[in-house]
Amino acid sequence: MAPHRPSRTVLSVIRFEKVTKRYPGPGRPALDQVTLDIDKGEFVYLVGTSGSGKSTALRLVLRELRPTSGRVYVAGKEINRMAGWKVPRLRRQIGTVFQDFRLLPNKTVGENVAFAQQVIGKSRREIGKVVPETLELVGLKDKADRMPDELSGGEQQRVAIARAFVNRPMILIADEPTGNLDPATSVGIMNLLGDINATGTTVVMATHDHGIVDQFTKRVIELDHGLVVRDEASGSYGFQH
Amino acid sequence: MQLRYVFTELRTGLRRNLSMHLAVILTLFVSLSLAGIGILVQREATVARDSLGDELKILVNLCTDDDPSHSPNCASGEVTADQQQRIEKEIDDSDEVASFSFQSKEEGYQRAYDQAKRSNTAAAFEGPDPVVTVERWPAAYWVTLKTPERADGIISALEGLDGVSVIKDQRKALGQIFGIMTVLKYGSWIGAGFLLFAALLQVTNTIRLAALARRREIGIMRLVGASTLYIALPFLLESLVAAVVGVALAAGVLAAFQHWGVDQALAQHVEFLPWVDWGDYTQALIGLFPPGIVILGPALTLIPTLLLTRKYVKV
Repeated sequence: MAPHRPSRTVLSVIRFEKVTKRYPGPGRPALDQVTLDIDKGEFVYLVGTSGSGKSTALRLVLRELRPTSGRVYVAGKEINRMAGWKVPRLRRQIGTVFQDFRLLPNKTVGENVAFAQQVIGKSRREIGKVVPETLELVGLKDKADRMPDELSGGEQQRVAIARAFVNRPMILIADEPTGNLDPATSVGIMNLLGDINATGTTVVMATHDHGIVDQFTKRVIELDHGLVVRDEASGSYGFQH
Repeated sequence: MQLRYVFTELRTGLRRNLSMHLAVILTLFVSLSLAGIGILVQREATVARDSLGDELKILVNLCTDDDPSHSPNCASGEVTADQQQRIEKEIDDSDEVASFSFQSKEEGYQRAYDQAKRSNTAAAFEGPDPVVTVERWPAAYWVTLKTPERADGIISALEGLDGVSVIKDQRKALGQIFGIMTVLKYGSWIGAGFLLFAALLQVTNTIRLAALARRREIGIMRLVGASTLYIALPFLLESLVAAVVGVALAAGVLAAFQHWGVDQALAQHVEFLPWVDWGDYTQALIGLFPPGIVILGPALTLIPTLLLTRKYVKV
């Protein structure tokens, strides 16, 4: 199934050129000759059933994996040939949010968000300025001293989003961010991701959540058994003939 | 690079894995102490050999005026040039001799004086009217044998020669002494080797468990773009702390051994042997070959830590 959307490479922040990824062992490739472009400032859903290749695609962007063949470009740089020591710098341009939040249970909300700045060497002054701003953006300004287990699922996900966004990355990758949340809370998260996207950050969200995709209409890239079967500028979850 | 996080994690890691770090420190301390003693024993053997020769050597002292040996070979006083030439020819012609060297009165005196200073018995050499002087010191030949079992021929040939005062044959005594030193040296090093291997395994386990305990933090650090070095730094510092404490304890034990064992006991009661001094102790700490404990300790903890953290914190 050919994608509907023509590729434009001028403003690409993520580009796959005939990317194939095979894991060891028999069976189909996880991604099969995938070509796609995501431009700066876009909000893109990556949909598909389990095993369709969504997580593989995200891991390739993060350079946690290398393609078996083809090329992956992030912010104009071909990352599959990138030297290992340069990978951390690449990842500073990408914020990541997960379904299970992945907060540090022994740190407060503020410390969890500050952690992302500490470990890349930001000064205490910078951290002291940016962390409260980011917590305010996600609506948790007054909860900086709470521990993660004192928060609801939605609030924990907001903390995770704050941590992913605190370094103002070029790209925000969200892997099933509403997977563990109820519909009402999921809407709140989507609004927040929309606010972040509005600042110019490219958002790529892998999801199974039909309701969210249909409610918050954005570009949809559908994967099926490692192939791009749909690429609609303003699509719904299900395939529309 | 902001190090506040690194030092916070260092404190947390030391506290969290305290018992494991103590085990590493103790094992390291004992193994480095044994290694250090092995080095001191090796240096003692070298010092003794330099001073006394080894089991392959005999010392042929030549006559001086008023020779204290009262040997009939010294009836004519100080050895003459002809007598010395004859003695040298006898040594050179012997098929029991591998090589020989001449030691002048001055050289012999200086050697003895240096040895006396090492064992704090130099009083006889010093002062306005010293008992031991260059003039009274005999010139000598150091004769290196082909095998320690065959020397009777050359000894009996030289014993009757005019100009030969005393032949010092220390093969048996030195052979036993050096034999004991060799056993002590290898015993220490073998013991040290086993314990150092145990320390290595403990360091490996500690790193593995620490990485497991920190896997959440490490995962997040990798994702947000922390460098491998930054992620590995707390582990490296924990290993370094263990190494520093282990080395310090071992250095203390070796210093106690040098002071009470060597200077106060052995050197006072076994005066015929020159003994290692604080210069040798320093070599046991910072020598290059064999590597001193200051080099060995950190190497044994930091190198496996570096290799393992590359595996566990790979970006």
